[in-house]
Amino acid sequence: MINRKKFDFTLALYLLILIAMGCIAIFTASTTTIGEQSTTQNHWWKELIFSAVGIGLILLLLRLPMPIFDIAILPAFLLNMLALFLVLFTPPVNGSHRWFSFLGINYQPSESAKLLTILMVARLISKDHLSEFKQLLYGFGITIVPVILILIEPDIGTAVVFIFSLLAMLVAAEVPLFYILLLISPVISTVASLHWIAIVAWILLLAFLLLKARLSWVAITISSIANIFVALIMPVFWNTLKDYQQNRILTFIDPLRDPLGAGYQIIQAKIAVGSGAIIGKGWLQGTQKNMNFLPEHHTDFIFSVIGEEFGFIGALLLITVFTLFFWRIITAYTEIKVKERKIATAGILAYLMFQTFINIGMNIGLVPATGIPLPFISYGGSNLLINTLSVGVILKYMNERGFMK
Amino acid sequence: MIKSIPSMVFRISLGVLMLLLVGILFRLQVVKGAYYERIAESNFVRIRRIVATRGEIYDHKYRPIVVNVPSHNLYLISGKIRNIQALSVFLQLHFGITREELVSLVFQQRFKTYEELLLVDNLPYETVLALSEKMNNYPELVIRSGTTRNYLYPNHFTGYVGRIDEKEYQLYRDEDYSLNSYIGKTGLERFYEVLLRGKDGKEIVQVDARGKSLELFRDEGYIDPLNGLSLVLSIDNDLQSYANEVFPPGLKGCIIVSDIKTGGILAYVSKPDYDPNIFMQRITPEIWQSLNVPEKPLMDRIIHASYPPGSVYKPITGSKGLETGVINRHTLLASCVGGLQIGNRFFKCWLAGGHGQTNIIDALRVSCDVFFYDLINRMNLDDMYNHAVACGMVNKTGIDLPNERNGFYPNIQYYKDKLGRSTGLNGYKANLAIGQGEVLTTPLQMNTFYAAVARDGLWIQPHLLQQTVGRGKLSREQVQPLEKHRLPWSPSTLQIIHDALWAVCNAPGGTGRAINVPGATSYGKTGSAENFMGRQTHAWFTGYIVTDKPEIVITVFMENAGGGGGVSAPVANKIFNYYIGNIEEIKKPAPIPPQFRTAEDEEEPPDEVEEPVAEEQAPAPEEETAP
Repeated sequence: MINRKKFDFTLALYLLILIAMGCIAIFTASTTTIGEQSTTQNHWWKELIFSAVGIGLILLLLRLPMPIFDIAILPAFLLNMLALFLVLFTPPVNGSHRWFSFLGINYQPSESAKLLTILMVARLISKDHLSEFKQLLYGFGITIVPVILILIEPDIGTAVVFIFSLLAMLVAAEVPLFYILLLISPVISTVASLHWIAIVAWILLLAFLLLKARLSWVAITISSIANIFVALIMPVFWNTLKDYQQNRILTFIDPLRDPLGAGYQIIQAKIAVGSGAIIGKGWLQGTQKNMNFLPEHHTDFIFSVIGEEFGFIGALLLITVFTLFFWRIITAYTEIKVKERKIATAGILAYLMFQTFINIGMNIGLVPATGIPLPFISYGGSNLLINTLSVGVILKYMNERGFMK
Repeated sequence: MIKSIPSMVFRISLGVLMLLLVGILFRLQVVKGAYYERIAESNFVRIRRIVATRGEIYDHKYRPIVVNVPSHNLYLISGKIRNIQALSVFLQLHFGITREELVSLVFQQRFKTYEELLLVDNLPYETVLALSEKMNNYPELVIRSGTTRNYLYPNHFTGYVGRIDEKEYQLYRDEDYSLNSYIGKTGLERFYEVLLRGKDGKEIVQVDARGKSLELFRDEGYIDPLNGLSLVLSIDNDLQSYANEVFPPGLKGCIIVSDIKTGGILAYVSKPDYDPNIFMQRITPEIWQSLNVPEKPLMDRIIHASYPPGSVYKPITGSKGLETGVINRHTLLASCVGGLQIGNRFFKCWLAGGHGQTNIIDALRVSCDVFFYDLINRMNLDDMYNHAVACGMVNKTGIDLPNERNGFYPNIQYYKDKLGRSTGLNGYKANLAIGQGEVLTTPLQMNTFYAAVARDGLWIQPHLLQQTVGRGKLSREQVQPLEKHRLPWSPSTLQIIHDALWAVCNAPGGTGRAINVPGATSYGKTGSAENFMGRQTHAWFTGYIVTDKPEIVITVFMENAGGGGGVSAPVANKIFNYYIGNIEEIKKPAPIPPQFRTAEDEEEPPDEVEEPVAEEQAPAPEEETAP
């Protein structure tokens, strides 16, 4: 039931535009032109089908009565956790256990886990009269389960997405910033451990901020000591890593160290994007794609194809659409009044934004290669469906405004 | 408390991130657009595979058996095709590639359009010269030099290499084979594929059209190829060649000569044979026809086929009798009257007039069947089976070649399954005793068994590889330790069998009197096996010679050729005599060629100043220097 007055047509429009752009991009990414001959892989058809299914799911979701939706979240979440556990026992593909494959359909549990974890966390930390500390604890506790399971697969990129979602949700729950600071302080300590001056400066800064937040001396001391400990333990931990493990991490940070492996992809992506110049080489004319210098160009590196064929104008257009899309989500966030739904919207916003930024960044050499796809544009069934569904959830929230629980 | 307005946080983050992206994009596409356009256009950043040099194969004196030679191969880059019609005409005319083949190849490559696709292997150099001008019209075609294999003589042990096919490519996905790789298909090339192949390297080609290096990578990306190890076999090329010559033309069978001390094989001949070099080029239908005739030249009769052994099997029956104490050196068994009555059937002996009563030594000397008919029926069949297994007559020897067959010896269970009973088997056993009936062995198992006898009861796994040279020096033991075990024979049994085998070749009435080797003591056993393949018996002979120590064991086997003593033994005799005649030359260790010397070899004092054995041809250009 679409409530004419409340339904957010603008957001839905942006979503459709993104999906359409995605289909166009995948068409060109899947098509190789030699001379006059063109061949298109069947990714394109599959993308169209998944898009249709996604939109269909949104329509279904909108019809679903809200109470049923609410009740379904917990069991769905638990099932998903079970799926995440079981997937670890499937045969590895390229060294990781991420997929279930049955009847020709591939299901990636980490994808649906993103949405369900957000909904679950939002549910828990939105309860009234919860102390902020408890909010932090619950949020962290719920999130850590899928994160650990996904890290075991291993799929580090996706695991990090969860953390960003959690942060956004905590911000939305108006948890004081210092809690968030505490949460991410170990990460900063790890980075700071590179140089003793950095460690000292950071610990002082941390203590100062916590002081301003009027934390008790006990708390300040404990967290400072904990962080000093982390910072000191880092070099020791680094040394226990074997050579090849150290190499992997270093190469991850600086792909150019491995010009024949990860570095090669980044260079190729930059060439593809850069050579698009201002107006691009034209529809279906991307030489880097045609000559196949770009590996994975219909998934992770699809932005490079857009950059190559549509140039700066095209890339700018795409980024503008994304910006408008996210801006609209933020507006939706402000218009939703139910606390739980607000928080969930923030989580969804965060994960979509994070993935978009990381993927485009990867294509232009800003960020290491992580295997994170570009939402709505990269080819990938699980991906597209969950992302579309997530936006569908936001649309549903908007639709339900005025019907308080 | 620092309270934040979340939506403002979100909006600011969004703005910052997106501006960052736009900024970098601007720099990449607008500011440096022309630079990247140039690079993209010239496609000059590419990872190129550096193929490792495949190891070669030498005999024990470092003389070549299989070497790498330069070749010229025609490649296609499908992404650069301008006019597919003209190209297909050109290819059809000069190389016989049809339009359908071309279209299908291009379609297969459609997602790797810059990768070079191998069209034709090993073009003759004249063709390359003749077409070089015309090739300018087809920038999508390129001729690259590579290496191919040259097999110096027809044989069944080297096997051959070929281009990897779809199934193998999938099977060895993790082993980094390229679509154009060579892979060993049969023989040593396949068994030692991992050693011979080495590991390909990679390099980044990053120079633009003017030869200027594009500073896209911090340092040169270059991974050295690791060349394959070369194999030094126990084979002696001279002996191999001689054995090849003396095998009677027109017959099918094999010759194995192995060294008693090490278990290494000196000569490995199976006839009819084929030239592995034919697989280095496109196989025409005529050639394929000639390989598929009933004579089966591709079949390695030494290990790929098992045959009824006939009388050469008798020592195994006899030794069991000695071991169980049923007989001793002097025991006389049933009298041979041209045969023996067993049940309601008269089992014939080969001598119609009969041998009378014999002991084990005489029975082996004249190869009396009746002695063994009687002997085996005083023993338990399963015991006999276990003895056959322990003598190495049932299981594969484990020689370093692929697809070796087992032998066969029945046990009581077998007859239970086949006949439904486990008694009344005396007739069947009688046949087994003399190596007929269901018994099957490969010629290699026979040779290995007699080598064990010659070696005073120590069974050593037969092998071709002696050591590797080149990038790494490994002894055979380091590559894979040889299996060794003792025959379950007491020293007295051994002695008796030795004496019997001596009598076969040296005493009057011995069936192996064709063996006459001045300068050595000869031992052996003949066999004439009846079989289902034809009217004539298979001719078997296995024997060994001893100078001041045991030297070599020879097995000569010929399908449907007649009597072992009459047909096979003389061939073995020639080879024995050749060996003794050239024994100095054969046993003299060859100096290690300079390219294979390692640091430790240099320490050995230089003895006689002698020229290293001359190489038949100049070393291939890809010859690897020692580390």
